[in-house]
Amino acid sequence: MSTSGLFRFPAPLTRVCPVPWGLRLCEKLPLLSPGTVATPVQAAGKKDRPTLLSLDERELEEQFVKGHGPGGQATNKTSNCVVLRHVPSGIVVKCHQTRSVDQNRKLARRILQEKVDVFYNGENSLVCREKREAEKRKQERKKRAKETLEKKKLLKEQWESSKNVP
Amino acid sequence: MLRALLSGLGWRKGIWGCAFSSWQPHQPPAGLSATEVVSHWTVVFEEKGIPEARESSEYIVAHVLGAKTFQSLRPALRTQPLTPWQLQCIQELSSYRLQRMPVQYILGEWDFQGLNLKMAPPVFIPRPETEELVEWVLEEVTQGPRVVGAEGGPLILEVGCGSGAISLSLLSRLPQRVGGGPWSPSLVSEHPASHVPLFLGQSRVTAVDKGEAAICLTHENAQRLRLQDRIQIVPFDVTLVESWAHLLPWGPVDLVVSNPPYVFHRDMENLAPEILRYEDPVALDGGEEGMDIITHILALAPQLLKDSGSIFLEVDPRHPELVGSWLQSQPDLPLNLVAVRRDFRGRPRFLHIRRSGPQRVSPVDAWPGRQPARVPG
Repeated sequence: MSTSGLFRFPAPLTRVCPVPWGLRLCEKLPLLSPGTVATPVQAAGKKDRPTLLSLDERELEEQFVKGHGPGGQATNKTSNCVVLRHVPSGIVVKCHQTRSVDQNRKLARRILQEKVDVFYNGENSLVCREKREAEKRKQERKKRAKETLEKKKLLKEQWESSKNVP
Repeated sequence: MLRALLSGLGWRKGIWGCAFSSWQPHQPPAGLSATEVVSHWTVVFEEKGIPEARESSEYIVAHVLGAKTFQSLRPALRTQPLTPWQLQCIQELSSYRLQRMPVQYILGEWDFQGLNLKMAPPVFIPRPETEELVEWVLEEVTQGPRVVGAEGGPLILEVGCGSGAISLSLLSRLPQRVGGGPWSPSLVSEHPASHVPLFLGQSRVTAVDKGEAAICLTHENAQRLRLQDRIQIVPFDVTLVESWAHLLPWGPVDLVVSNPPYVFHRDMENLAPEILRYEDPVALDGGEEGMDIITHILALAPQLLKDSGSIFLEVDPRHPELVGSWLQSQPDLPLNLVAVRRDFRGRPRFLHIRRSGPQRVSPVDAWPGRQPARVPG
């Protein structure tokens, strides 16, 4: 899923959903089809990205907004909040990020998948590991930038002093 | 000062602009944050018996702040005070909600399958269930046996396109070019009208509707999404049997898709004011048993479908049985109900009907100048 122009007029791409502030954008997770029960949820991921802990649909309890009425054409509801509970751990995710029930269901699963991973794997969870790696890369970049700056300073000083040689 | 501000700034808004009004009922005190304003209008709506009071309030405030949902707003935006202009716009939009106008019409836009579509009364507002219809069609097209012919495709006919939701979401999800093998220059031809190379190996849709407003809105949404080159939008009334021949040039198609009017006539009066007051009843009323449009689509489909082509319908939960019986009562129709799928509420909502056998001339057919029957195989 490529990044779409969130600030341009919509291109005919799929599934552009604003991700909550603070949550990383997991680009490569496959879009889930909740209709296919008992299929473990997995992250396809980049080649070097290890798989997230799978979620089993059978361990999930899902709730939509009550009082939906007859549904279909006979109803026009805009409330599409999804409440998803992972029974073994008790973690509950509530998602009303997008205007689509379908999208919210998928997002809820994605968010829940990460939370469950953190719950069981703590510091070793994918989220924490990637955070540490990102921080490490950031520090390395800073260090390199500093080194480059110092080199430039040194060269400038040398050039300045060479100018003064009669 | 406020008037100049309102007229000068062209921000994205609902179809009713923000007019300055000196009479401001229910206006919250100044200096409130988005969260507080949402709570304020929630109370107002609840007191007036407006359904989905909180959700309506959240959508309106989020819209004024430039977001699609309240939850997607950055926390900082939710807590800082709103400007008088923002409060005024929220007031204006909320006054329409007090008239029971559906939120989608108030905002003038709504999302479907990740696409943003313009909404305008009285054109039917896409329902959340219908997103699953699109998902099912996509599954069948991409995972099932290849539905592509020599032209690439699939070629799709949508009956009752409304705002264009189903057609446009299918087009946006279906690849421009379907089928294996390298792209060949011989597949490219010049489109006479626009001089744009038209790739023959692409999925295309013919979208039809009885309503003029729907035709216009689908056009507009197709252009918004830059899909106008892959969709034909045709005024058409499926209940006028004598007009069926007009669709033949666009066939035969791989798929017929529809969310036809399927409300039982006796249920119409029980619909919420949001629906009764603002949406076109023609888009909802399916006759006595909600089957009128469905049966016309099924009767027409074999003449437009390729061998083994499919029909996907959204229906009332009472219809799977009724459709099954009706098909049995029509032995001359080469159609079989092959699958029923439930919506996210667990109600049987979607039908997959497949055309069986080779195309042949219908015995009932008596149109002058009709195409000869296709040779099977």
